[in-house]
Amino acid sequence: MKSKNCIKTTKLPYFMAVLLSVFMMQFGFAQESKTVSGTITSSEDGFGIPGATVQVQGTKSSTISDFDGKYKIEAKTGDVLAISFVGFKTQNITVGAQKTVNVVLNPETAELKEIVVIGYGSQKKAMVTNAVSQVSGESLVKTNTTNALQALQGQAAGLQITSTSGQPGESLNVVIRGVGSTAGSNPLYVVDGVLTGDISYLNNADIESISVLKDAASAAIYGSQASNGVVLVTTKKGKRGAPGQITFDQYYGVQSVARKVDLLDAKEYATILNEAAVNSGKNPYFTNDQIAALGSGTNWMDKMLTENAATKNFAFGASGGSETSVYSTSLSYLGQEGVVGGKDLSNYQRYNFRFNSEHKLYKDIVTVGENISFAHVDKNGIGVGNQYNNSLRSAFQATPLLPMYDANGNYFDTTKSTEPWLTGVSNPYAMMVYNNQNESDSQKLLGNVYLQIEPIKNLTFKTTLGLDYNVNEGHSYSPIYSLSIYANNAFDRVNQNMNKSRSINWDNLLTYKFNAGENHHFEALAGSSYITYNVTSIEAANADSVFNDLEHAWLDNTTNKDGAKMSMKGSKYENKLMSYFGRLNYNYRETYLLSATLRADGSSKFAPGNQWGYFPSVSAGWIASNEEFLKDSKVFNFLKFRGSWGQVGNQSIRPFQYLALVKSNTTNYTFGNEEGVLTPGAYLENLANPSLKWETSEQIDLGFDARFLDNALSVNFDVYKKTNKDWLILAPILATAGANPPFINGGDVVNKGVELSLNYQNKIGDFNYSISANGAYNKNTVGQIPTSDGIIHGLSNELYDNAGEFYRAENGHPLGYFWGYKTGGVFQNQAQIDNYKSANGVVLQPNAAPGDIIYVNTNGDDKIDASDKTSIGNPNPDFTYGFSLSASYKAFDFSLNANGVAGNQIVQSYRNQAGAYGNYTSAILGRWHGEGSSNTMPRVTEDNRNFTQFSDLYVQDGDFLRINTVTLGFDLAKMKQSKPFFASQFRLYFSVLNLYTFTKYDGMDPEIGFGSSNTDQKFSSGVDVGYYPRPRTFMMGLNVKL
Amino acid sequence: MKNTYLYIFCFSLLSLGSCSLETEPLTQQTDTNFYKNKDDAYTALVGCYDGMQVATGASGMGVPVVSEIMSDDCFGGTGNSDGYNYAAIDEFDITRSPSDVDMLNGNWIGYYKALYRCNVLLQKMDQIDWEGDTTLRKTYESETRFIRAYLYFEMVRLWGNIPLLTEPSTDNIPQANPDDVYKVIAEDLVFAANNLPSVAYNATTSGRVTKWAAKSLLGRVYLYYTGYYGKSDLVGVVTKAQALQHLEDVIAGSGHALVDDFSTLWPAASVDKYAGEDNKEFVFSIKYTYTSDYNGNTDGNHWLVMFGMREFSSYPYGRGWGVTVNSKLYNAYAANDTRRTATVIGITEEKIPFDKLNNQREYTGYYNKKYSPMVDKDGKDLPLTMGSQFWDISQFQDYVVLRYADVLLMAAELGSGNAQAYFDEVRRRAYKTNFTSLAVNSDNIMKERYLEFALEGVRYWDLLRQGVGKASTTIAETTQLLSGGSPVTKTISAAKILATQGLQQIPNTQITLSSGVLKQNAGW
Repeated sequence: MKSKNCIKTTKLPYFMAVLLSVFMMQFGFAQESKTVSGTITSSEDGFGIPGATVQVQGTKSSTISDFDGKYKIEAKTGDVLAISFVGFKTQNITVGAQKTVNVVLNPETAELKEIVVIGYGSQKKAMVTNAVSQVSGESLVKTNTTNALQALQGQAAGLQITSTSGQPGESLNVVIRGVGSTAGSNPLYVVDGVLTGDISYLNNADIESISVLKDAASAAIYGSQASNGVVLVTTKKGKRGAPGQITFDQYYGVQSVARKVDLLDAKEYATILNEAAVNSGKNPYFTNDQIAALGSGTNWMDKMLTENAATKNFAFGASGGSETSVYSTSLSYLGQEGVVGGKDLSNYQRYNFRFNSEHKLYKDIVTVGENISFAHVDKNGIGVGNQYNNSLRSAFQATPLLPMYDANGNYFDTTKSTEPWLTGVSNPYAMMVYNNQNESDSQKLLGNVYLQIEPIKNLTFKTTLGLDYNVNEGHSYSPIYSLSIYANNAFDRVNQNMNKSRSINWDNLLTYKFNAGENHHFEALAGSSYITYNVTSIEAANADSVFNDLEHAWLDNTTNKDGAKMSMKGSKYENKLMSYFGRLNYNYRETYLLSATLRADGSSKFAPGNQWGYFPSVSAGWIASNEEFLKDSKVFNFLKFRGSWGQVGNQSIRPFQYLALVKSNTTNYTFGNEEGVLTPGAYLENLANPSLKWETSEQIDLGFDARFLDNALSVNFDVYKKTNKDWLILAPILATAGANPPFINGGDVVNKGVELSLNYQNKIGDFNYSISANGAYNKNTVGQIPTSDGIIHGLSNELYDNAGEFYRAENGHPLGYFWGYKTGGVFQNQAQIDNYKSANGVVLQPNAAPGDIIYVNTNGDDKIDASDKTSIGNPNPDFTYGFSLSASYKAFDFSLNANGVAGNQIVQSYRNQAGAYGNYTSAILGRWHGEGSSNTMPRVTEDNRNFTQFSDLYVQDGDFLRINTVTLGFDLAKMKQSKPFFASQFRLYFSVLNLYTFTKYDGMDPEIGFGSSNTDQKFSSGVDVGYYPRPRTFMMGLNVKL
Repeated sequence: MKNTYLYIFCFSLLSLGSCSLETEPLTQQTDTNFYKNKDDAYTALVGCYDGMQVATGASGMGVPVVSEIMSDDCFGGTGNSDGYNYAAIDEFDITRSPSDVDMLNGNWIGYYKALYRCNVLLQKMDQIDWEGDTTLRKTYESETRFIRAYLYFEMVRLWGNIPLLTEPSTDNIPQANPDDVYKVIAEDLVFAANNLPSVAYNATTSGRVTKWAAKSLLGRVYLYYTGYYGKSDLVGVVTKAQALQHLEDVIAGSGHALVDDFSTLWPAASVDKYAGEDNKEFVFSIKYTYTSDYNGNTDGNHWLVMFGMREFSSYPYGRGWGVTVNSKLYNAYAANDTRRTATVIGITEEKIPFDKLNNQREYTGYYNKKYSPMVDKDGKDLPLTMGSQFWDISQFQDYVVLRYADVLLMAAELGSGNAQAYFDEVRRRAYKTNFTSLAVNSDNIMKERYLEFALEGVRYWDLLRQGVGKASTTIAETTQLLSGGSPVTKTISAAKILATQGLQQIPNTQITLSSGVLKQNAGW
């Protein structure tokens, strides 16, 4: 088995041979010589440039200018001298008859100097032929967010980032160029070359830059894991020859909820309850006098939320370098309290440590180094999931007539209450307190150690051992309590869990840069990578703790011996990935650019025979501004056209789906007369699919990069078509097959879009300013779903008890579109009901009463039924955009960041329609209550008949524009000082995060990352069943650089 | 080419990382290393029992509940703002809830999953190393085939037209002729009746299938098939005389008997005096216990909660979702029939302070006592007192498929020489000292079955096997009920029942998945 798997790479030898032959190309020219000399000066100040390189092209002959910028070199008439120096444009001068050649070098623009991090290497930005967006660590730090991904919001075109919850430490949904798969959209993260699933552990201050590989051509070097794009994170490194520097950053802020949901108060609630009773043929519950005496009741929203929750950050860093060694290290702390429930229930604290260093040995032939970062996270949180595991949701629907405490000061228990609006209702605040006693801590160690050898110039071999090690442990306590007939706990419960995952990768890379003739530049790379991943977990729970608190909620303190109250589980699984890859970059005079990559990946997730996948890409570019006809253009300072094509893959499924697995846990029968005695059984759980293979994403990208107005304005433009096909899906099968459906390959989604980024920067005297804006339009269309109805059905019971299916993946529609009844207003009177007929004259809603909702008969038949349900919304935005402004004047600086989406819809469901007495949002005050009173919001009834069918009543537009960060800073070090100041930077700033959100959406926050509670249905999004909002934060901070 | 060696060296460095991609599941067996020995066989057999438990207890709507709602025993009831799916079933009228096109999809899936387990085990019988123990093999095979027969019998009664699989298949299989389904059922039961050990019922672990269970179920299948389809024998496999003989065998040799007091059969009717789940009268039960949770354990009786009083507990009766009992049933019992108070909870009669009229749809004042959730004296749900966290899905009352009383009445109906004695035995237990003998005949037996087996999920099929015409006129009714406390008129029309032939809706999802190979039943 072993050898068979390893040599399965049939296409590989050929592919490697091609690469090797490229390495071996050697060219040479004969020459005769004379001595040429001159002075190299800078165009900026006219001074000589020491240390500039003068090379006779096509030879190994080169020299370096002296302290005054003077040089001497042997060359022949007709030779081309290439004069180069870091930070200046290289000049090529053909040697004529003269012996003196003086050269004036022009400084390079910032953009030309910029290096972009790409897969397994880096590249000059001007030479990039793919769609790569790079964001500097500096602009991430400016946002003062706890999470680098949140900091990326609005900073790169085509990157849509959405919080799954505003709770501290919760993950974010990242979508690059549209959702491409039912298995989710999360990209691959690579931190310093180590592949990982999440970067929320990083402190922004540790990040040098983030590169987002958006097109398939740039991501293809990561093959099978890159179908959702790749996010490359580089942590800070020391700089060669730079003097040591110490930095200290700190901020402190207070957070509050920016916007609350307006719920009915006691009087409004009682009025609506009365009206519902009357509309249902009953007497009202309350007299007018009783209503008047009710007051406002309990405002559950206010009870749940905490004002002025703290957030703070301290980061200490040091970096520097000699000519042979560089280092960068940091230590930081970040703490954020939750705005729901406060820090006892919702809190996040993170400690980070990082040490990166690199050392050159043996005259720079050997380089060794390491990047090590460690994070410790303490976290606790409340339920923020689906309708049943959501602490906030219960506050939306608890009646304002429910008191917080009883006469004895205990949480009010409705078990004995007989008022219909109280029975079965439990105090939502108490529920949150009782059910969220948990804490967890996790440690992540991510890093690598590498050795690089450069035996001959421009040929390097690098071997890297990387590690991503995660440990998480947690425990929770659930006390005995009684709040209602449905919410009570007869015995306490202690849960303790631990899990550990370890991913080791070993990468070997060979790179060679060479020129063939003077104009042909090659850069070749070949590599292999082996990743082995394993994860173990253990979890146990037991009852009857001798202590009644979270602090002592450890299993040793539990005394129960009854098996039914215990539970335990533990598991281990592993998977492996073996890869070979190569890349060839070629350019002709740095004007015609070509790049090709190929990766071969073998994954243990698939059956032998289907383990290997091949992911090719090509891309090309043309820097038109280097051509004669544009060289001296006054309009274009830079103009590059580029195009790319590539294929990448996705293997994100549970392992062993190619086998028929035997299920033995939770498979029991109870023989005998004694309850709770179980006999274990087993059965074949799933149908095997040995032919399962990779999901593939294919993308074409065309674009240009340009700069105008003396490089002040830069423009990047892309159009793309991304096709994700052969999804790994659990397609429903006929029940008669008898086992769970296998994962199959099938279905596709096409994302087509346009992206534009603009950046303008200029200065007026001491006033520097820059404006950048980016926007992306994307259209998402599903096709080829291999089921008879072309649909992957959504879950039911997601919006309220017994709610039907409301979202789907269906051919011809966007992923996760909302499916339900279209409404056509509200029946105003009986005549309108009698006249609402089909073409055949059949009355369509004969049982309706005035005030009931009108359902549109979309299919034109004689009844309103499921076949009339249609598309009533799209959770995927058409347009995502962001912009930022920044300005500085002497010691002052100002910046503003904003982002937004447009064209998407949100489903909002805050009320369980299974009961008559849940509270409503104030939107219900606009209900129909007599002819002409409303044509949008139907009447209220006790059976909620107008709300138990999912219709567009639940759908709202989700457009928003959020002012994310506004910062005003003042740097004391930039003031004119009488004595030298101790620091090079001493900046105080004031910042507001999430200052304001422009939206018509009436929930707490339009940025809804929640979709579905099922991990196999990650294509659903934009579902608000009660959402932990992002707080608004006011903060002060300090940055010091010594 | 001095660098050639260097390149070769570098290339070999790149391939250093090559390693095996071999992994295997570490916490699960696969079909290649299971089904090997006698222990595996037993585990797989328990898996079949579990499949039956899940299909009948934790899937879809609960067939005993559905059977009662379809009959004239119960109304759909449930919550006042619930959907109208139970009303659609109750009235055989999908226009009551046109969007409910998948009402029984969960049941359909649950049954076929359980059947798959049986079919896989039967297919693997030959590859298992039995170590020469042919008796054991026959016993396991009999139990598996009994379970398969039981599942098919429930399905074919409910839907009439179902795909038939006797081995695993992913093909798109059309609905079979019901005769073919009954043939499999009959052959499976005959095999089990012939091959299970001939020992008294209490020599076998309670819950396991016995020879007597197989023979008794054969009697029920015989009566239903010959009645509903108007045939003279069971698809040529079992004759009337053979069916009767099987029942007589049970009466003579099983050790089963009636318990003395009818009420002790039902926990809520007898509380402390309950005869227990392994009492001598229960010939076959599907067993449930309180260990259901939301982490995959599905051992509980998930449908029992449907029969509880709507959101209201009153010792010993527990709360539930309020499927209500037709007052016609309560009134059918003579005052001196001990079965009346053992069968029905009367809100007024028992002075229960029920105050959830607002939440209850189709309130009649009566609930099911034979299958009722229970609470202790403090009002705490029994599953919670046992240690479960989930009062609703962890109800643990077993479902009694067949009681010995049924065996006696079936034997009487099939013309046993002891018909009058069997008939009297059942009635004497019911009326105690007030017993007066009644002549045994088909009408009287059916009337007695109505009273004896009310609310046990038997009534509807007893009606249907007398012909859809008879069933529809018996069930059809117009009456006044309280929904949300307001009076409503409830109508069940005979025409709708006739239109459906008494069969239920085929789940639309399955029809769609089959690309129309499966056909919807008439009337739906």
